Formats: sequence, C-alpha cells, structure tokens
Amino acid sequence: MHEFDDHDSIILCRSCDLAVRKRALPSSARAICPRCDTALYDSPYCSINGMLALCLAALIIFIPANLLPVLEIHFLGSIRTTTVVEAAVAVWAQGYWVVGLAVLVAAVIAPAVLILSILAQVMIVKLKLNRTFWQRVYTTLLKNQGLIAQMTMLEIYVISFLVSAFQLSDFSDVYFGMGTFSFTMLFVIILFLQREYNLEHMWSYVDEH
Amino acid sequence: MSTEHSAAADLPVDVVTSSHSSAQAHLQGNQLGLCLCPVCKKLNRTTNSHCRRCYSSLSTRNYASVQQSWALLVTATILLVLANVYPITLLTNRGVVTNDTIFSGISHLVQTGMIPIAIIVFTASILVPWLKIVGLATYLAAISFDLPISKRKLMVGFHIIEWIGRWSMLDLFVISLTVALVNMGQLLDAKPAPAATAFALVILLTQLAAKVLDTRLLWDRLEKTHDTN
Repeated sequence: MHEFDDHDSIILCRSCDLAVRKRALPSSARAICPRCDTALYDSPYCSINGMLALCLAALIIFIPANLLPVLEIHFLGSIRTTTVVEAAVAVWAQGYWVVGLAVLVAAVIAPAVLILSILAQVMIVKLKLNRTFWQRVYTTLLKNQGLIAQMTMLEIYVISFLVSAFQLSDFSDVYFGMGTFSFTMLFVIILFLQREYNLEHMWSYVDEH
Repeated sequence: MSTEHSAAADLPVDVVTSSHSSAQAHLQGNQLGLCLCPVCKKLNRTTNSHCRRCYSSLSTRNYASVQQSWALLVTATILLVLANVYPITLLTNRGVVTNDTIFSGISHLVQTGMIPIAIIVFTASILVPWLKIVGLATYLAAISFDLPISKRKLMVGFHIIEWIGRWSMLDLFVISLTVALVNMGQLLDAKPAPAATAFALVILLTQLAAKVLDTRLLWDRLEKTHDTN
C-alpha cells in the first residue's frame, strides 16, 4: 500500500481519464474536470443521522403512498379509483407485462429498495458493524447504489399524475386523494435523502479498515 | 438539479502536467499507469487485476463497449420507429373504437386546447427519445469514425442525454394510470396497444447504450487544433 501514497493526491476524471491533482475544497463547492466539465468530487458532507431520519420518514410515508388511491374519476355516476400498484397490474393483466414491470420497478420496487439499502448502510456505519459479513453486505449495497438510484423515477410519476388528470378531465371529473399527497411527499423526502447521500463519502468508510 | 449545489461555485482544478514537455500536454490516467475502478471509482494501478477497495476486475479501457453501444442503439432505433407507427392505446368511447398512436394522442391534446400538457407529452415521448438516439449516434460516430466534433461539446451533450432519458417513462406511467381508471366496458374503456411494449424497450435499450459506453475512449483521440478547450 506504501507505493500508493504519492498517488493519493491524484484523481482521474471518470468521463475522460484526465489526471487532476486533488485539493481541499471550501464547503458546498464542487470540483469539475477542466477538460470535459464532468463533476469530479465535492466537499464531503454527509450526515448519517440526517439520512437515518429521512429513511424512517420515507419508510412511514411509503405505506399510504402505495396503499391509498392516487387518482379517482367520476364518469356518468360510476366511480373508479386506482393505486400505483393497481395501475401497473392493470397493464400487466392486459398482457403488456414489459410495460407493467417497468412501471412497477420505477415507481414501487426501486424506491423501496433504495430506502432499505440506504437504511442498512446507515445502520452499519452508525453501529460500527465491523464483522466480515456486514462489511460484505455494505460493499454489495454500495456497488448497486447507482443502478437503484437510476431506476427510481418518483419525480416522473408525480408529473404523470398531472398529465393523466388533465387528459382524463376531457370526459370525466378527476379527484386527487390522500394517496396522491403521500406519494408526492415520498418523492420530496427521497429527493432530500438523495441530496444528503454521497456515494464517494460512503465508500470512504470502507477505506478506513 | 439541486438548488444549493448549483448555486455553489464550480472550481477549476489543477491539472497534472508532465514536467519535461510543454504545459499544454494533459496527462491521462493510462499514461500514468493508473485507472479508476469501473464500479467504485477508486484509483488503482493498471498492473493490478482487481480493485483494492471493492475487488471488481479492472481494465484501463473497455474497447468492446463501443460495439455493444452501437448494437443497443440500432435495436432501439428500429423499436422507436415501430413505437411511433403502431398504436400505443386503444380507446373505446360509446362503442366507437379508436387507435391512438403517440403522435395522434398529442394532436388530440392540441385540438382540445391543452397546449401545456401537449408540450410535456411531446417532449417526453417524441423529442427526448429521438434526441437521445441522434445524440448517442453522433457520439458513437465521433469515436468510431474519428469525426472532427468538439469533444467538450459531445461530453456535455452526453451528460444531458444521460439525465433527460428517464423522462420518456412519463408516457408509460400515464398509460398505466389511464388503463387502470378507464374500464367501463363499451361505454368508456382504455387498453394498451403494441407500441407500448416497443416504447418501454426503447427506453431500456437507450439507457443501457449510454450506460455501457466507456466515454474515455473519445478522449484518447489526438487533440485537434480547433479542440484546445
């Protein structure tokens, strides 16, 4: 490991492989690659307790967001409601399982996995679980973090409430419910959680061992 | 994306330059015998076979990624044509069945006067997928055929494509909500149609095409005279 000491001040741009000398940044500043403008690193600020609080809040609001109806229409006396899961299952039941699966993953499964994954990471760091098993779990979670974050598309789903409501209002009365509110709150909490979360910082806990 | 971070100043950073040659020569990781772990982005020596932090296998460049990306992109283009030609929803209104393609759905929105919604749907369902395919094709062509396009501009475009690509999912979410709500038999009924699957696959394949591509390959080309910045 000694051979690396002289190289630890150098970082490489992940997009263009340019070698850049790393230096300390003032808080809330971000270093960008001088050649291709890709974000290189920011000053590590990542509050473990803050993330724990946001994870718990997200877990609680996740339940009504997925159990309560998010949209309701009244059409000639008949009332129809749907939850996010029911909407995905409805498309699946028509034989379009690719579409149903895509909706289910992006709006329900990926957000749930994201919350649980960050919660597990936070607990492992906070309780200093140094056993090999926990360290292996931690590394596996970090390796998949980027993929799960990319598959979480709550912000797009929130916009789709509005688009659907406008489209359906053409021929029926449309109502939002507590489910819509809960789902939007889930989106807001996860937005703040992802802003607080810093993957590079979480990896640095592995370096310390 | 986040207000606080975008408000913060983007600092320029010192570039490592070789001491004996001119100050213009930018050193890359592969010239220093260093590479980033593809999974956890830890700095490693190229002589190591596995990352010293997460034990993933290392490689300086992934040359096969250009071919993989081209293959995914060609498939996505074919599917995108199908997604635009075939109907995406099937609407039954008082016994009258109408097939809506992506485009006819938007023109219907324009006719009923919902211009802002029409713009959102147009952007998410037509503009973004086509921009993504044209943009990725330009990027890949610049690597494969050594086209004289500013690498810096290509990289900015690539980051935009990576970020905006997800928004195509909007149409699928709207379809799933509509199908679940509008099910009143002959009176009023909405069902998905074949283009929905094609469209879902377009999103998956184009996101994969951007994800597998090793962007560092673009920067290995010789610096062109017009490309100093």
